[in-house]
Amino acid sequence: MSEIAKKKDPLFGPRDMKLIKTPFSKENPIIVQVLGICSALAVTVKLQPAVVMALSVTVVIMMSNVIISLLRNTIPPRIRIIVQLVIVSFLVIIVDQVLRAFVYDASKQLSVYVGLIITNCIVMGRLEAFAMSNKPWPSLMDGLGNGLGYGIILIIIGFVRELFGSGTLWDIRIMPEGYIPNGLMVMPAMALILLGIIIWIHRSRNKDLLEKE
Amino acid sequence: MKNFSNKYIYIYSVVLVLIVATVLALLAVGLKPYQQKNIKAEQMQQLLASAGIKVERNVAEENYDKYIIAEYTVNGNGEIIDEYSEGKQQKGSERPFDVNVKSQYKSLKGGATDVKLPVYVCKKDDGQTIYIVPVRGTGLWGDVWGNVALKSDLNTISGVIFDHESETPGLGSKITDDPNFAKSFENKTMYEGDEFVSVKVEKRVGTQNPHAVDALSGATLTSNGVSAMIEDCLKFYLPYFNTLKK
Amino acid sequence: MEALNIFIKSVFIDNMIFAFFLGMCSYLAISKTVKTSMGLGLAVTFVLVITVPVNYLIDKYLLQPGALTWISDSFANVDLSFLSFILFIAVIAGIVQLVEMFIERYSPSLYSQLGIFLPLIAVNCAILGCSLFMQKRDYSNIEVLSFAFGSGIGWLLAIIGIAAIRERLKYSNIPPALRGLGIAFIITGLMAMAFQAFSGIKL
Repeated sequence: MSEIAKKKDPLFGPRDMKLIKTPFSKENPIIVQVLGICSALAVTVKLQPAVVMALSVTVVIMMSNVIISLLRNTIPPRIRIIVQLVIVSFLVIIVDQVLRAFVYDASKQLSVYVGLIITNCIVMGRLEAFAMSNKPWPSLMDGLGNGLGYGIILIIIGFVRELFGSGTLWDIRIMPEGYIPNGLMVMPAMALILLGIIIWIHRSRNKDLLEKE
Repeated sequence: MKNFSNKYIYIYSVVLVLIVATVLALLAVGLKPYQQKNIKAEQMQQLLASAGIKVERNVAEENYDKYIIAEYTVNGNGEIIDEYSEGKQQKGSERPFDVNVKSQYKSLKGGATDVKLPVYVCKKDDGQTIYIVPVRGTGLWGDVWGNVALKSDLNTISGVIFDHESETPGLGSKITDDPNFAKSFENKTMYEGDEFVSVKVEKRVGTQNPHAVDALSGATLTSNGVSAMIEDCLKFYLPYFNTLKK
Repeated sequence: MEALNIFIKSVFIDNMIFAFFLGMCSYLAISKTVKTSMGLGLAVTFVLVITVPVNYLIDKYLLQPGALTWISDSFANVDLSFLSFILFIAVIAGIVQLVEMFIERYSPSLYSQLGIFLPLIAVNCAILGCSLFMQKRDYSNIEVLSFAFGSGIGWLLAIIGIAAIRERLKYSNIPPALRGLGIAFIITGLMAMAFQAFSGIKL
């Protein structure tokens, strides 16, 4: 991986694009690496909190990747996990405070799940796997890619659940009058099953991801 | 991997923590006014909404000052503890708007006797006087709360508004989202003759029953919670209402 | 009585996994056999019962608006609640480390069972989530304890359940693309639906 950082590349050249793109399919943090599921499911009853959550996580991953990458040569290995936790919680608190001040309604809906970004394994996972050994710019791209890869799944699930569960999208009525919302969609159970189905579709299309048992 | 001395590790941690704490403290202090403004504006907006005055959140405060002519806190014997009106504290030490309704209701439930709860007096454009009281209880998953606005006969409900922490979206959350549910409370009465019967939320009552509204289908426990909340909370205010009527 | 209700509620109704999806990462990763799931479940319960009350005290005497009045009345307006995330996670990481050292020193047999799971727990969202819910719901002292214990037991129940099912699944004929992770999610969904039935219990 550290090879990437050494070569000179134009801004958003093929390598940057690769870092952004792979998390969308082959290395999607949620459906392939199974990271960060906790918060992914709880905030997807409606589209709007799902989008706010996706953006918040993307911002936190990008920022923490850059900060850790800048500090990577100064962090003593023995305390690196705690340093990472401190940096991540620092950023999450900032996000939480900003949401409360300027996007109050969304922050009310997300409630404790903003705080749970701290233990979102995607963030810690990227710090360990990428930012600790790469320069800031590729780390930023890696964070952006993973954040968006995470976000896209959230948005898909949020879209399906809100459309069928409430008959609305972004709180605007879409389904014709007389559509009876499917109560099952808003239940926690359906989020899990939807995610299972997404994994199913994804793995049918990428045979190399199949699990051998 | 480089080797780091223990001294370096200690200094590193201390410096890191200091930087983080300073930045966060500055940020928290800087953003606090905005956050409090949001919370306050929402509270004011909801108080006005229960009295039938719908305003945007950004103008909630000025409309609140215009329509809410007095705030009181009352105790379980119907005595006024604090009063705030015409922009200043008239009686007592705490502004009723700032009273922590949640913890007061909690201690009321725990059997405390020194509980005080706010009453808001609203003067509408058409000259009607409306009394608004905050209510609080538990639904299926978490707390539910809201405001009940009473007409000046202190018997007829002029309007209600509910909010909830985590009721099931699409089912229990309709107490907030479905305007028809809140609307069904309008013009219901809480006294049958001289007896307090509250306004109940029950299954299949239709629109004719003066003391009950239709429950939400698929959300029995949330409906029961709302019903119990209204009854329990209005009960606390009855002595005050009785003194007002005299 | 209230404490007992909270216990039952957090085991069955507000189950950390089925209602809030907390701790899903380790739940899916470590649920291949019943034996290891049991170990992880016990470790989670153990850590929850210690960290949630500690965070409760920190919240009550340090963070809440006006919490510092026990030092001096002049601190009545200090509100440190913005620090809660960072302090909670630090407490959790610290306590997990302490517990690990303590068990290793005094009970090697327990350590060989729980030891490998303890580092995983520091970043288990169920642990931090529990502390954050505790802060939001303002419980009293004894209620906090029963909430923490109940959440832990609920988590244990969920992971043992899925592990038992997954052990049997090895012998089932599942579409290749659904094998492993996909079916685990769908089964968790079905289990969550079954647990939904408990929400009718009136406590």
